[in-house]
Amino acid sequence: MSTNSPPQTVTVTIDGAPGQAWAGQSVTAVLVAAGIWPLRRNPVNGQLRGPFCGMGVCLECEVTINGRPGSRSCTAHVTDGMDIRTHTEPLPTAAHG
Amino acid sequence: MADLMTGSEADVAVVGGGPAGLHAALVLAQGGLSVVLLDESDTLGGQYYKRRPAQLTAAFGDFRPRGTELIRQVREAEVVVRTGTLVWGAEDAGRTLFTSDVRTGALGRINTRATLAATGAYERSLPFPGWTLPGVVTPGFALHLATMDRVPVGNRVVLAGTGPFLLPVACALLEVGARIEALVELNHPYRPRASALGGTLRQPARLAEAARYLLTLARHGVRVEQGARVLAAYGDTQVTAVDIGHEDGRVRRLETDALCVGFGFRPSTELPRLLGCDTQADPTGTEQLPVVDADGTTSVDGLYVAGDCAGIAGVQAAGVRGQLAAHAILRRLAPERAPAPVAGLRRRARSLDRFAALADRLYPMPATADIPDDTQVCRCEGVSAGEIRQAAETGWNDLHGTKAATRAGMGPCQGRECGHIVAALAGRGSGPNRAAECFAARMPIRPLPMAATVEGQEVP
Amino acid sequence: MTRPDVIVIGAGVLGASAAFHLAERGYRVVVLERGGPNREGSGTTAGNLHIQAIHTRRPGQEVPVDSARLLPLQRRASDHWAQIEERLGADVELRRGGGFMVAETAVQEEELREKHEWERRAGIPTEVVTGDEARKQLPLLSDRVRAASWCPLDGYANPLLITPAYLTAARRLGAELHAFTPVTGIQRVGDDYKVLSDDRSWTAPVVVNAAGPWITEISALAGVGIQMSPVAIQMHVTVRVPPVMHHLVQHIGEGMSVKQVSAGNLLIGGGWPAAKLDMEGRNTVSVPSMAGNLAQAGRILPFLGDLRLLRMWAGPLAATPDEMPVIGEVPGHPGFFVAGGTYAFTLAPVWGDTLARQIAGEVAADPVDDLGPGRLLYDDATTPVSP
Repeated sequence: MSTNSPPQTVTVTIDGAPGQAWAGQSVTAVLVAAGIWPLRRNPVNGQLRGPFCGMGVCLECEVTINGRPGSRSCTAHVTDGMDIRTHTEPLPTAAHG
Repeated sequence: MADLMTGSEADVAVVGGGPAGLHAALVLAQGGLSVVLLDESDTLGGQYYKRRPAQLTAAFGDFRPRGTELIRQVREAEVVVRTGTLVWGAEDAGRTLFTSDVRTGALGRINTRATLAATGAYERSLPFPGWTLPGVVTPGFALHLATMDRVPVGNRVVLAGTGPFLLPVACALLEVGARIEALVELNHPYRPRASALGGTLRQPARLAEAARYLLTLARHGVRVEQGARVLAAYGDTQVTAVDIGHEDGRVRRLETDALCVGFGFRPSTELPRLLGCDTQADPTGTEQLPVVDADGTTSVDGLYVAGDCAGIAGVQAAGVRGQLAAHAILRRLAPERAPAPVAGLRRRARSLDRFAALADRLYPMPATADIPDDTQVCRCEGVSAGEIRQAAETGWNDLHGTKAATRAGMGPCQGRECGHIVAALAGRGSGPNRAAECFAARMPIRPLPMAATVEGQEVP
Repeated sequence: MTRPDVIVIGAGVLGASAAFHLAERGYRVVVLERGGPNREGSGTTAGNLHIQAIHTRRPGQEVPVDSARLLPLQRRASDHWAQIEERLGADVELRRGGGFMVAETAVQEEELREKHEWERRAGIPTEVVTGDEARKQLPLLSDRVRAASWCPLDGYANPLLITPAYLTAARRLGAELHAFTPVTGIQRVGDDYKVLSDDRSWTAPVVVNAAGPWITEISALAGVGIQMSPVAIQMHVTVRVPPVMHHLVQHIGEGMSVKQVSAGNLLIGGGWPAAKLDMEGRNTVSVPSMAGNLAQAGRILPFLGDLRLLRMWAGPLAATPDEMPVIGEVPGHPGFFVAGGTYAFTLAPVWGDTLARQIAGEVAADPVDDLGPGRLLYDDATTPVSP
């Protein structure tokens, strides 16, 4: 097995924009490599949040992957054609009555 | 209703595919028992023997080949490996485990004669103003990015906290081209001056490994600043600067695009605690550890615990403890077999425990008393230290009451990030406030997709 | 306070409400709580305000509630809840979004109509609507819903807030709260009761036993035998989601209640039995009950299948053998009052007011003589404990 051949590249879409990644990389890694840190807003105070623990515990890194919301980006791996959506738009309402 | 869950049987379920679980599963299977090895992750290895994805292994080589070998042996021994399987609940002393397929959400049930919890640990974080900003992460996250994905967590990285783990993380970051602006160690574990030269530990036992890392850091011009800590992080949409406080009161502001802060590890004890296993406070007083004997036997008949989830002792100890627990289970479930001699393993475990105790003394935790009142403690529910202190100071609330009064610990991480801090803050009072020392473990152990439950039943 | 007028045992929602209503009338009140306030049934309940009749049995419940009997009290409770935030000066996340009770079968629909007739007589506004009409108002309801009764007064209050709000208001009025103070003995001293907690004691002419599942144990300390049948029921909560529904949704056929609380989590309950009631430790949840409750809730509200279950827990319910509430002075034990039993959350303001009136020697706003503890007495109570 060669350790010199470059990894296979796949194309993913992040918030509608196409990008390149190595097959097998974690979704979080691809986002970080693209300089995309804020991934969502805290539902209580609206603060921007990004990946924190990297091991599926804190759930701060949840994004929508291929239409499935609440997907942990740190434990998911990219595949060719994957659609990744972050949710950093301001919250519609702080609370409801 | 239980019939909506597909059931399966095994002599032993091992929960957690890290060093302890792998070693245990191997011994159990070689001893002739049917073993199912469960892990939430999609690969075996746990955190230490984490697998680099196949596509990246081809390009960058195998990561920690010892793990690859161990996993190969486990598979050859015909252990039933079920990765991508979350154990979200248990009952009947662990003889019934409830599972969920991480990909499909399908529910399952496993019936066993004994269960070994080898659920490992997660990183210990301590809150400071700005710790919820994007770009502030755990050192483990940075390590994962560097080793698994070959991505530097930032270009100008500040590493801080305490513990020997900061050293390999720093080295891994250098390897992928990150620049380390500062490595800030709260304590004074390394010899002054010598650290800059590649230095040594005061305790010779830890010398070799740490010295190698320190040497690498020195070669890259990274100085370990001891007796310093992160005071606050700043940024708008992500972290851009950090204040480092020194013991002499000096405060230095550094520009950074990734701040990694960690204070060692916390055992992941939900499963044994859910099953009602006797616990005792760890030395920090903010964790409840399962009470185990030398072989990982707990107060719950049929439930065993091994590895970091019984107390942080590291990868070597986890492997040995896993084997010891497996031999204890074999003596119990396969009494007809000649018991394997375990005196050597026990000696080795004791020696590794002493090693771990040494680390605890070298890298003590900071006090929580100086966390500013307006600092968010519960990241999920946005609860501040002041709100938690206020709830505790009414005198009405123990830890559980404080949770109810403030919602701290009620968010999606289920108190994993803040539990030990809330315990420390809420436990400041006297009398009954000291009684409760950690959040109760509840089912589901992780948030559970409800699709399967909701769709799984026809109307009678 | 060395010489209170009333000693309230139990700082759950009933004890807290009683303490408030008594303190408001100028009584000197001491509240004794074995653990932390609001930690048992009152803090673990769903927080539903049941104004329309429930008429549903908890899974496993043997005796039905006499729903028609309770309706005047629910009507009264509705008025109390309408003023509660103003009266206590506290936000308790009160929501009166109205509630549907759904039917899936013709028989269930008939029960809705029967129930509607009782409600009409009690002055509770309800309306039986078709499934389509219900779905027009709440499109999340599934096609399984054949009919529903709608009550605009149904709602929710945060059970984690209401008891502390009562206690805070009571303390403002001079009441004393002693948490982590388990009652270990009750002695008759002249016309008074001396209530002991290890080496501490309080003496007063009136004791209110609002100890929930411990009512039997506390009564026994005073030589009163009261039969209760506590059970543990379980609750399920999802992660937070953006606002999707503001109604309380219940089922006429089987125990089920679903609502979205103000924090955004969906709370799913209905009195499904926990695996184990443990009065000294933690109650154990039942996975079959979870599966049953969630399947049933998902049948009526399929969107729940897209959510994640965050937590479940079990709390005690101080049920009586006849499933009806108990309130009043114990015959033969002047000054010893008991309050508890079913509907305690919804009825808490009514019971606090009723106890205060009874203790003051006034007539209750609604007659409750038939709900007194006399019916639950048994003879072989232990003798009063004396140190």
